[in-house]
Amino acid sequence: MNLFQSVTSALDNSLAKDPTAVIFGEDVAFGGVFRCTVGLRDKYGKDRVFNTPLCEQGIVGFGIGIAVTGATAIAEIQFADYIFPAFDQIVNEAAKYRYRSGDLFNCGSLTIRSPWGCVGHGALYHSQSPEAFFAHCPGIKVVIPRSPFQAKGLLLSCIEDKNPCIFFEPKILYRAAAEEVPIEPYNIPLSQAEVIQEGSDVTLVAWGTQVHVIREVASMAKEKLGVSCEVIDLRTIIPWDVDTICKSVIKTGRLLISHEAPLTGGFASEISSTVQEECFLNLEAPISRVCGYDTPFPHIFEPFYIPDKWKCYDALRKMINY
Amino acid sequence: MAVAIAAARVWRLNRGLSQAALLLLRQPGARGLARSHPPRQQQQFSSLDDKPQFPGASAEFIDKLEFIQPNVISGIPIYRVMDRQGQIINPSEDPHLPKEKVLKLYKSMTLLNTMDRILYESQRQGRISFYMTNYGEEGTHVGSAAALDNTDLVFGQYREAGVLMYRDYPLELFMAQCYGNISDLGKGRQMPVHYGCKERHFVTISSPLATQIPQARGPGYGIMSIRVDGNDVFAVYNATKEARRRAVAENQPFLIEAMTYRIGHHSTSDDSSAYRSVDEVNYWDKQDHPISRLRHYLLSQGWWDEEQEKAWRKQSRRKVMEAFEQAERKPKPNPNLLFSDVYQEMPAQLRKQQESLARHLQTYGEHYPLDHFDK
Repeated sequence: MNLFQSVTSALDNSLAKDPTAVIFGEDVAFGGVFRCTVGLRDKYGKDRVFNTPLCEQGIVGFGIGIAVTGATAIAEIQFADYIFPAFDQIVNEAAKYRYRSGDLFNCGSLTIRSPWGCVGHGALYHSQSPEAFFAHCPGIKVVIPRSPFQAKGLLLSCIEDKNPCIFFEPKILYRAAAEEVPIEPYNIPLSQAEVIQEGSDVTLVAWGTQVHVIREVASMAKEKLGVSCEVIDLRTIIPWDVDTICKSVIKTGRLLISHEAPLTGGFASEISSTVQEECFLNLEAPISRVCGYDTPFPHIFEPFYIPDKWKCYDALRKMINY
Repeated sequence: MAVAIAAARVWRLNRGLSQAALLLLRQPGARGLARSHPPRQQQQFSSLDDKPQFPGASAEFIDKLEFIQPNVISGIPIYRVMDRQGQIINPSEDPHLPKEKVLKLYKSMTLLNTMDRILYESQRQGRISFYMTNYGEEGTHVGSAAALDNTDLVFGQYREAGVLMYRDYPLELFMAQCYGNISDLGKGRQMPVHYGCKERHFVTISSPLATQIPQARGPGYGIMSIRVDGNDVFAVYNATKEARRRAVAENQPFLIEAMTYRIGHHSTSDDSSAYRSVDEVNYWDKQDHPISRLRHYLLSQGWWDEEQEKAWRKQSRRKVMEAFEQAERKPKPNPNLLFSDVYQEMPAQLRKQQESLARHLQTYGEHYPLDHFDK
């Protein structure tokens, strides 16, 4: 399956085993603008897979409401760039529901899915990676998969998790490579980073699409510099797996973090700050962040904007030579 | 107590202050304490009438249980001037626009249509990354643009290019924005069709939609409203002209709901046959199209004929193709323009990032499409 198919499969599994599960959002009924919900309305009926008006605040607000009653609410925001009208609902309502009620009430059965990240020509409003805005909000979980197999397992975990979750799907990967994905449900745990390649000299950390970039950078480093990289996919942005990252940095002494989102206030800054607190004496070089620039995401300039393999390779080289 | 109530009347306090609160305001010197901005309807507080006393409400009580049906709202009639064959229905509503103006309306719509066809095709060929056509909605664009002053500021959504076309935005600049080339006023930063033009008072388009929708119908917001046939250029014109006149004269907003139909797909990323019938689309294309209706009017006035139609089609296609070929040949803007205009002044941190890209390109430039960009 490719990534959009693995998402459909996860949603299919959810609606099959959980009679309270419903899927809603703009254009989900006919199958969705990225085909993630194809066939589900026919299979499960119009009461379980339905369109909403064009109103992100309403989509999330409604989702919170039904989650509070105990139903499994799977909301779709058509592009992560459009999640901001729902920001108040997410931050002030969903994230705080359990805490403010003294655990009398919660909307843990809410999951929000949204296409995320650059796509080649998306420009300002079809390319954003807004995870950093939500990382600053205790009470929600933010999860980003790198592949079809990861997507299904992580999405199922989000849906079943007892806390409201945001699941960002890298849109550029929707139709990219396919891989073997089980038809039956399975879970990949949240808040666990994955070491996808072991190494000894440098730790490379990324999530979503960027994992593939750093994996390639690891090959380049091996080939051109004889450097051995440990490549880690963070997978859950919050609550994040501090232990796996720190364990790796204690081993390698060098850390490079990379994301498409702008540098300032991006999630790499949180990782960097924590790692220097925990692993200060293990560090051989300053922690490197290779990120998007502090500008809106440009259209024609995208090839210059993104933290591509050359920028990551160059930063790695400088760290090795520090 | 009597003093307090009298004082309240003088100061026009009508924010629902309780009697007890009023008692505190005995002294005229306390005037500033609870002053509020009076709403449009001012009511003096009085507990004597058996009318609702809710501040700002002007309704009566009713003792019959009745829900208001939303259908009442969707029954608002649709104003039109021409029938579907372009004939004026009620002569007193004919705006009697001069020939040149009507021809300008017609040519703006048809030139836009021609440009749409060519640019949609160019996306299919991979020449531009994305496009959105205006098929079916052209009447709403030009009818409203024609009724406004050229200096009126227009905030468009992404399917309103006809306003720019009517305001003589050159083909070269439409193309430049779609190609993101060096002539683009937007400096190559946005996806195609996100036009903007300061001199033509058209604020640059942005993608997000829900931030811009009126969340309720006009009457729900207490706004003067009208519904018009958006495929009837004269109806749109008349409504916009009158709304503008009154908005300026009366200092209040007016909502015009121009009913129309989007004939094309949402964008080059959409195949609308997945969610609507081809028959429905064909109906609008063939039976109720703003361009056809205006053409019938032009023909019946003797202001247009088949020969002129043929010649104009040829000419407009040629103009579009020329602009298109030129746009394609131009380079993209210098990558330094990635960094400007985030703020009015460039922050030091951002300048450092700009410099680091420049250094990076010196070493790794071969891996970037620098040949297509301005040096």
